[in-house]
Amino acid sequence: MRKLKHFVFGAAALALAVFLAAPAQAGQARRVTVTGEIIDPWCYLSEIMWATGSAHHQCAIWCARGGIPVGILGDDEQVYIVLMMENDPDVIGHHGILRMQTNQIVVEGDLYERNGIKYLAIDSIIDDHGIVNFSHEEFDIQPFGD
Amino acid sequence: MKMSFRRIVIGLFAAALLCLPNLAGAADSWNLPDEEEDRFDATVKDVLCVLSGDCPPDCGAGKRVLGLLKADGELVLPIKNGGPFTGAGVDLLPHCGKIVTADGLFSTNYGVKTFAIQYIKPAGGKWHRTNGFVKQWAGEHGLAAKDKKARRWFRNDETILEIIGEQGKLGLKDKGIEP
Repeated sequence: MRKLKHFVFGAAALALAVFLAAPAQAGQARRVTVTGEIIDPWCYLSEIMWATGSAHHQCAIWCARGGIPVGILGDDEQVYIVLMMENDPDVIGHHGILRMQTNQIVVEGDLYERNGIKYLAIDSIIDDHGIVNFSHEEFDIQPFGD
Repeated sequence: MKMSFRRIVIGLFAAALLCLPNLAGAADSWNLPDEEEDRFDATVKDVLCVLSGDCPPDCGAGKRVLGLLKADGELVLPIKNGGPFTGAGVDLLPHCGKIVTADGLFSTNYGVKTFAIQYIKPAGGKWHRTNGFVKQWAGEHGLAAKDKKARRWFRNDETILEIIGEQGKLGLKDKGIEP
C-alpha cells in the first residue's frame, strides 16, 4: 500500500513537471485574423526613417531581401513578426513576400507571444488590397530620396 | 624627462592591452529608442521551432527567422546585423543549435524589444563583426566584401532591381504613380 502511495505521488509529480516544462518548449498558439500593412519591422521599430507606406516601399524590399524578418503593422497598431506565410516557413528573403511589401493585407494564422513579441504563423491570406498608404506624398522616398 | 616619457608610453600600452578584450566586440551606439548595449550567451535557434515544436535539423537552412535563446528562457529576436539593410541570419546560421556570445544593442519601442547583433563569438572562438550577408552577396558576385558594388548591394541586387523595375520605387507603378 505504501509502495502504491509512493508510486501515485511519483506519477503525480512527474505529470506536474511535464505540464510545467511544456510551455518552455513550445508555446500555446491562438487563432487570429490580422489586418495590416506588411512592413520592415527594423526600420519601423528603430525609427531611423519614416518606415510605412509607399515612401518606404523600396527600402522595405531592400531589408526583406537582406534577410531582415518581415512584419505586419496591424490596424490595432501592434507589430507582428511573420514566421510563416501561407504555411511556408521559408520566409527570409522569400521572393513572393518581397513582392507583397507595403501591401494592406488580411491574414489568418496562429499567434505566439514570447518576451513581449508577437509572432505570426500565417496559413492563409484572406485579402490583399495592395498599397493603400501613399506616404510618399508627405515623406518622399525613404531613405536618401531616391 | 626621458623616464617620464617612457612611463607614459608603457602606461598607454598597458591601458591598450587592458582595453583589447572590450574592443573586440564592444557594441557601437546607434541612438536607437531605449537603447541598451549588452553582451550575453545564448543558443542559436529557429524561432518557429522554439514556439511550435516544428524543428528542421538545420534551423531551416537560412530561410527561417532565427533567434537567440538564453539559458533563462528569454527568446531574443536579433532583427538586424551590422551590415547595410541586412539581417543576421547568415551570421547566425553556422551556429545553429550552438551557444554563442552576442554583442550589440537592445532597443525597445512600441513595447517590442529587439536586438541588433553587431559582433558574434562562438564558444572558444574569436569575435567577428556581423556582416555575413554582404560577404555572402559579394562572394556570389565575384567581388570583395569591401568593393563599392558590394557595400551598395541593395542598389545592385538583381532580384531587387527586377521587383523595383516592375513595381516602381513607390510600389505604385500599376496605378501610374512614379517618382
